[in-house]
Amino acid sequence: MTNPATESAPDGAREPIKQAAAPTAAGKPAATGSTPTPGVSLAPQVRRKDLTFLQRIYIPEIVKGMVLTIKQVFRPKFTRQYPEERWDPPPSFRGRPVLVEENGVERCVACGLCARVCPALAIEMQAAETPLEKERYPERFEINMLRCIFCGFCEEACPEEAIVMSDEYELVFRNTEDAIYGKDKLLMSTDRLKTRLEFLRKAR
Amino acid sequence: MDPRAITAEPQARRPDTVPGLGRSLDSQEMVINMGPQHPSTHGVLRLELVVDGEIVVDVIPHIGYLHRCFEKHCEHMTSYQQVIPYADRLDYVAAMSNELGYVVGVERLLGIKVPERVEYIRVIMAEFSRIVSHLIAIGTYGMDIGAFTPFLYCMRDREHVLDIFERTCGARLLYNYMWVGGLSHDVPPDFQESVRRFCRYFKPNVKELNDLLSYNKIFVERTANVGVLPAAVAVNYAVSGPALRGSGVHWDLRRDDPYSIYDRFEFDIPVGLGLKGTVGDCWDRYMVRVHEMEQSVRIIEQAVEQLPPGDVQSAIPKRIRPNAGELYARTETPKGELGYYIVSDGTASPFRVKVKAPSFVNLSALPAMCRGAMISDVVAILGSIDIVLGEVDR
Ligand code: SF4
Ligand code: SF4
Repeated sequence: MTNPATESAPDGAREPIKQAAAPTAAGKPAATGSTPTPGVSLAPQVRRKDLTFLQRIYIPEIVKGMVLTIKQVFRPKFTRQYPEERWDPPPSFRGRPVLVEENGVERCVACGLCARVCPALAIEMQAAETPLEKERYPERFEINMLRCIFCGFCEEACPEEAIVMSDEYELVFRNTEDAIYGKDKLLMSTDRLKTRLEFLRKAR
Repeated sequence: MDPRAITAEPQARRPDTVPGLGRSLDSQEMVINMGPQHPSTHGVLRLELVVDGEIVVDVIPHIGYLHRCFEKHCEHMTSYQQVIPYADRLDYVAAMSNELGYVVGVERLLGIKVPERVEYIRVIMAEFSRIVSHLIAIGTYGMDIGAFTPFLYCMRDREHVLDIFERTCGARLLYNYMWVGGLSHDVPPDFQESVRRFCRYFKPNVKELNDLLSYNKIFVERTANVGVLPAAVAVNYAVSGPALRGSGVHWDLRRDDPYSIYDRFEFDIPVGLGLKGTVGDCWDRYMVRVHEMEQSVRIIEQAVEQLPPGDVQSAIPKRIRPNAGELYARTETPKGELGYYIVSDGTASPFRVKVKAPSFVNLSALPAMCRGAMISDVVAILGSIDIVLGEVDR
C-alpha cells in the first residue's frame, strides 16, 4: 500500500476523477493529448525505454512467435468439420425429450406428472381411456420445443419411464407451429433409445 | 433518465479554466452510445459515454435488455427444485457455481446434511466452472484488446472441461446437476482419471497463456495503469471477486466464510500486486484470474484424490418444504459474491428469492474506473471486470 493512489482513496469514492486520472498521467503517456482534462498533467511525458536490446532488434521476437505457430501446425487438429463429421453424444446426453414407444404404443399413462414438474410449462396433454392394460393413454401429447429448456425433470418425474431425453440435438423449425411437437414427432421406439434407457437404469 | 440531467453533472465538476491556459482550450462534451450491440460489451449492455474529445468524462451503464424476471419466476415454481435450471441461467458461463449457491442456501434452510461424496463432487464441479469462466474472461479480454489467438486457446481448453461436464450430467452449458440434497447423477466411472488427465494437460497451458498474453508487451501497455480501482473505492462500491482481489484486498468467501467443504483444502488467494503498474489496474484484475485458475486446479487435485465412495442421491428429500423463515446464503462464484436471499412461508415453493449478483454490483463501479480514461480504455476496463449480462439483468 505504498501507492499514492491507494492512500488518498477514501475521497476517491466521492471524487473519482482525480483518482482515475492520476495514474494515467504518471504511467500512460498516451493519455496526454492536447485536450485538457482535470487531473491530467500537461507537462511533456518522456517514454520510458524498458525494452531490452534483443526485443529492440525485433527479429527474435518474430521468430519466437513463428515457432509457436509452426508447432501448432503439427499438433493434432482440435476442431471437427461438423455437418460432414457427425458427433455422437454420450449416453448421459440430454437431447430433446421423446415418448418411449413399445410394441407400437406409447408407454405413457397420461398421469400428468411430467407436465406438473416441467419448470418451463412446455408439456400439454389430454388423457383418454383405452382398452389396453394401462387403461389410460394420452390422446394428445405436445411439447413446445420453444419453451423446453432441456432440464430433464420430466424424465426424472415419470413413473413409467415413458418420457426420456433422446440423443437428438438438431432442432430445426421454420415457424412457431412447427415447434410444437405432437405425438407424431415425439414417439420413438425402444430400440432407438436403448443406450439411454440402459444408462437411466444404471444411474437411478 | 433525462439525458440532459446526466450531462449537467460532469460539467459542473469541470474547472472553468485550465490553469495557465485560460478558457481558450475549453471544449464541448459529447454523448455517445456504446452498445447494446457492441462486440466488446459482452452481451447487451449499453454504455452512455460522456466524452470530451477522447477523454471519458462519465459513463452511465444502461442495463435490462436481458431481464427475464428470474426472481418473480421463482415464486411461481411448484417446488424449490424447479428453480435450479433457472439459477443456471444467471451466470451462464459458470452455471455450476450458481447452482451450488442455491442448493447450499436451500439445504441450510432445510437443515439437511448431504453425503461426503456429494460435497466433494460439488467442489470439483464448482472449481471447474471457475476455470471455465476465467478462461472465457481471459480469452475474450484478450480479444477485446486485439489479441485473437489466446481466445482460441482458451476455448480449446474450455472444451475439455465441458466434455467432462457433459459426460457427467448430459449438458455442456446449463447443467441442472446439483439438486437440493444431492446430485442428479453420479459421476461416470472414469471420472477421476479424466479429471487427473485434465489437470496434467491444463497446467502447462497456463504457462503458454502467460507467454502468449499476460506478459505480452502490447497487452501490458494496454492494461497496466488503466482503470485503477483503489482498494477503498472497491470496498465502498461492494465490489467482490477477482475485481476486488485485483485491488489488493484479501477477501474470498471460500476462506473467510467457508461453505460446503472448502475449509478442508489448501489453496492461496491471489491478489493484485501492481507488478506492471498500479495496484488495482486492469492487468492486476486479469492476472488474479490467471492465478485463480491455478489455485482451482490445486483444489480439484486435492478433492479428486480424497473423493469418497457413496450414494449421491440418498439425502434428496421427498418433499422440500422448509419451515417458514428466511436465509441469506453467499458463495464465491468466479465473478464474486453471489448471494441468495430465500424466504420461505412453509409451502412447497419459495415465497421470495432475491439474488445479489456479483456482476451487477461490480458493474456499478465502472463509472468510477472510467472517468478520466480514454475511450478505448473503456473497453479494457469493462472486460477486466468480467460481467455476464445474464446475471446483471437476471
Ligand atoms: S426437459 Fe424440462 S423443460 Fe423440457 S419438457 Fe422436460 S421438464 Fe419440460
Ligand atoms: S409422467 Fe410419464 S406417464 Fe405421466 S404423463 Fe408424463 S410421460 Fe406420461
